[in-house]
Amino acid sequence: MIIPTSAVNTCIIDNNKIYAYGFKKLLSIKDLSNQVTHFDNGSEAIAHLRDPDNAQNLPDIIFLDLSMPVMDGWEFMKEFEEIKSQLGKKISVYILSSSIDSQDIDRAKNIPSISDYIFKPVDVQRLQEIFKDLQGIARQ
Amino acid sequence: MSFSEDKFSDDSRLHLAQIIDNINAGIWEYNINTRAIKWSAGFYSILGYDTNEIECSNHIFFEHLLYHQDKAVFLHALNDQNTSPAKPIQIRLLTKSSGYHWFESTIKRQYDKSGQIIYGSIININQYKQAELQASRNDQHYGDTIRIAKLGSWEIDAATLNLTLSKQIYDIFELQAEIKLSIEETVSFFEPPYRPVIQNAINNALEFCQPYDLELLFRTAKNHVIWVRAKGVPIINEYGRCVTIRGILQDIDSNKRKGLSLESSLNLLTDQNRRLQNFAYIVSHNLRSHTGNLQFMVNLYEETELAEDRTEIFAHIKSISSSLNATIEHLNEIVKIQTEITNERSIISFEAIFNNIQSAIKSNIEALNARIEYDFSQCPQISYIPAYMESILQNLLTNALKYSHLDRQPLIRCYTMKERNHIYLIFEDNGIGIDLDRYGDKVFGMYKTFHQNPDAKGIGLFITRNQIEALGGTIKIESTVNIGTKFTIKLV
Repeated sequence: MIIPTSAVNTCIIDNNKIYAYGFKKLLSIKDLSNQVTHFDNGSEAIAHLRDPDNAQNLPDIIFLDLSMPVMDGWEFMKEFEEIKSQLGKKISVYILSSSIDSQDIDRAKNIPSISDYIFKPVDVQRLQEIFKDLQGIARQ
Repeated sequence: MSFSEDKFSDDSRLHLAQIIDNINAGIWEYNINTRAIKWSAGFYSILGYDTNEIECSNHIFFEHLLYHQDKAVFLHALNDQNTSPAKPIQIRLLTKSSGYHWFESTIKRQYDKSGQIIYGSIININQYKQAELQASRNDQHYGDTIRIAKLGSWEIDAATLNLTLSKQIYDIFELQAEIKLSIEETVSFFEPPYRPVIQNAINNALEFCQPYDLELLFRTAKNHVIWVRAKGVPIINEYGRCVTIRGILQDIDSNKRKGLSLESSLNLLTDQNRRLQNFAYIVSHNLRSHTGNLQFMVNLYEETELAEDRTEIFAHIKSISSSLNATIEHLNEIVKIQTEITNERSIISFEAIFNNIQSAIKSNIEALNARIEYDFSQCPQISYIPAYMESILQNLLTNALKYSHLDRQPLIRCYTMKERNHIYLIFEDNGIGIDLDRYGDKVFGMYKTFHQNPDAKGIGLFITRNQIEALGGTIKIESTVNIGTKFTIKLV
């Protein structure tokens, strides 16, 4: 590998602080990503993406929880769809939720910019695959 | 034709008898003095006999031909001197081959040289009589059926707007006398909200020839409120105009009420089912989220070697454990709602409970310098499960305090209202409000929080709604961001 995977810029949007902590820790232990930004809700993440100061520091991948106060995952996706063309960078979005409700899963499937829906807590192997795929895309 | 005039000779009488015989009638003659009796040939033939096949005698007539129940009628007519001319009588006579038939006989008196003579002509009226009996049986049957169906019929003449009502309609109206009613007067028997409905239906039928079939509430003359079915069908002339509306009015009260009560039990069941399903979903979602985190942390604990990481992870495990405990407590509260529903209700005073809660959270109120007003004068008391009422008032009050606006003194108003058969509890605040277009009914969902309030657990309003709905009430929210929130609770 030319670029170490750990250089991937990762973003997690989840109001569950414990989970976000664990997720960060896991990425670091597995050497998947050392650069993880955490946002408590969708609104904070949108503000970060919109801020021109962050233009050089946009995430490669977003892990998005669904149920959050202020702006939930669905509302985030709506805003994200509107701004993504102006970001100048392809950002993969994965839903990371404990909801096993088929309504949520189907709804996510119908949003084209969502790459996949993964269930919490998280399967390490699946996570490794996701980062490997990301690497592949980056190399192309 | 008359035999009553003396100038008729025996010959002409015989001649007339022959004519009468030909028109399928017979004549008889009875001499009161001599008790002699004569029958014309037609008399025999309409009974199916050949002339002289049976003996012409009083005995044969009274004992064999005349139906025993009709003897009285016949004798009465013979002896009745007053009615002149006597009315024809209807009697049953035994025919030769087809049993008793109905006959009509005229009865005339005449005095001639041989004394007093009574004579008459008989005709067979069996077919007509049978039809009449059948018709009266049908009428009886129809009347009974209509009575059983609690059904009345009516008719409106389109030109004059004259309304004709059947007797049964008056029974449904519980009117003693069959007084003439106008359309307006009839419409006024319906309950006020249904008057425009029936009036419009009639107007549409008259104007646009639209039939209608409605179920409406109706108040009878004796003040009984019943459900009726009103059905009207326009009768159209060759120009396509409505000339008459014909319709029925049916008392469907008992069925309709059964249907309505069934519908309300179904709604109750659907509600309960929805709550149960919601509950199952919550249990699975919330417990999953905690156990997922726990599993995650435990794995991480094993993966990491750094002592300081382990300490941090373990602190998180402890925090998950207490969250798990709290969630179980919340679920327990919800289960309690369902079990407490069978607890006895008692008469409780809003003011007493409200004051208790105010003093319990006094420090909270004072810290925010909140002004709290209440007015329970419209309905000071209610029969309710006391624990529910305490919980409802406490949740709404703490909720209003929690989401008060920092820029102004919190003002909270709580009051009761009585409307028709319902008791309402209203709770208003001037707090930060909530964007209902965005969150809508989610406000009452479990673990739904919308503001970044560290105290928000997303359980209060969920429990409140469950308690209210468990007792058959409803809760509604109106809110404007930065202005305030109003909860309207229909308790019973």
